[in-house]
Amino acid sequence: MIRQYLRAVRAIAAKDLLLEARGKRRANGAAVLALLIVVIFSFVFVRRVDEQAVIARGGLWIALVFATTLALSRGIAVEDANAAIEGLMLAPVDRSAIYLGKVCSSTVFVTAIGWVTLVAVTVFLGAPFEPALLVQLAVVFPLAAIGFSAAGVLLTALTLNSQVNESLLPVLLVPLVVPVILAGIELTGLAGGPFWLSEWFRILLVYDGTVIVTGWVSFEFVIEA
Amino acid sequence: MAFLSLSSVSKYFGPQVGVEGITVDVSRGETVLLFGHNGSGKTTLLRLIATLTRPSEGTISLQDTEFSRDRPTQRGDIGFVAHETYLYEQLTALENLRLHARLHGVELSRCESQLDAVGLTDRGSDPVSEFSHGMAKRLALARATLHDPALLLLDEPFTGLDEESLLRVTDQLRELTETTIVFATHAIDRGFDYADRVLVLDGGQLTRDIDTAQCPGPDAIKQDYVNAPGQL
Repeated sequence: MIRQYLRAVRAIAAKDLLLEARGKRRANGAAVLALLIVVIFSFVFVRRVDEQAVIARGGLWIALVFATTLALSRGIAVEDANAAIEGLMLAPVDRSAIYLGKVCSSTVFVTAIGWVTLVAVTVFLGAPFEPALLVQLAVVFPLAAIGFSAAGVLLTALTLNSQVNESLLPVLLVPLVVPVILAGIELTGLAGGPFWLSEWFRILLVYDGTVIVTGWVSFEFVIEA
Repeated sequence: MAFLSLSSVSKYFGPQVGVEGITVDVSRGETVLLFGHNGSGKTTLLRLIATLTRPSEGTISLQDTEFSRDRPTQRGDIGFVAHETYLYEQLTALENLRLHARLHGVELSRCESQLDAVGLTDRGSDPVSEFSHGMAKRLALARATLHDPALLLLDEPFTGLDEESLLRVTDQLRELTETTIVFATHAIDRGFDYADRVLVLDGGQLTRDIDTAQCPGPDAIKQDYVNAPGQL
């Protein structure tokens, strides 16, 4: 039973990543949006604000959150076409497997967007990211991605049958992931220190756990509604 | 003992009635045709049986076990071909079938034989986006029967098919002698020959339950439906 459940989670995650690798619709859109936000940041702030590190942190996380929102929104469109998600719902496993599978694939995807955004921030905002911070981000990006994805997948399922789902998602998602954005910005500023002892790191972990459990428990009811 | 049993099943969408007070038993191996105009509740009833939506009232049981969220493995006994194909257009036919094989715990080698059964052997590596409506429908049938379900649900299986696709689909349906089939259509002329029973729905309610062996033909049902709707 558990093996079949895990097999379903893996199959759904692999399917999402294969679809993305083939179409690149989400990747291209999200990367371009992140790039544009960073470029606009560079026009507006770079020569006018002294603390470049602050600008870089803000630019990085704002670009990431909006690129992620776009990516999640497009991700659910794939399930909407031909009502493909109902095919997944017919699988003889608990429907929370669909949720976990999609959270896994989105986490990989959002983490990748994070690194792409970081490159853009480094180039356009001249961000002084040190090697120690890159190691730190290797932990923070996936944890933030889990938070974005866990909340985002649940909300996309909630808005799936809404005719205004693409405009509704950012309105619902961005306020919900404020703890992730704040924790991300703060943790990006703690270069070199033991970031895992930081209060923000704990907040990020607790947020991830809370949202995943909430989504895991409620997904079946949300998707049937 | 009924294989599929619906007891006082109702589904409401706010103030609107999807289906209301449906009580019916279906025996194992029986082929049941759901007939009714658009909006009569055929699709809603199939979606309820497929567990894609839950009844507002009443219970549905398969092999004497009531549908419940706690028993997801029951869905392994059900195959459903809906209006939509449930296929991913960017994936190839084989990739779509392999995905569903993994979800149902079926051997991947069965995917090729399923493609063969619906006459799509040489199109397995093509993305579904390149398929015609008829081919996609045949692939949807291959997907729905991949795990050899005991209960097959079909929503308008003949709609939009060319002659070749129609022959393939009907041939495959005829081969499923062990499977209990419930299919919805408004094209009763075509579906009547395959059915053991015809359930007539009108306004979400079951108005007639007809044994096709006792019925002169589809025209009689159509005529009766037009002349006296709402009578059981």
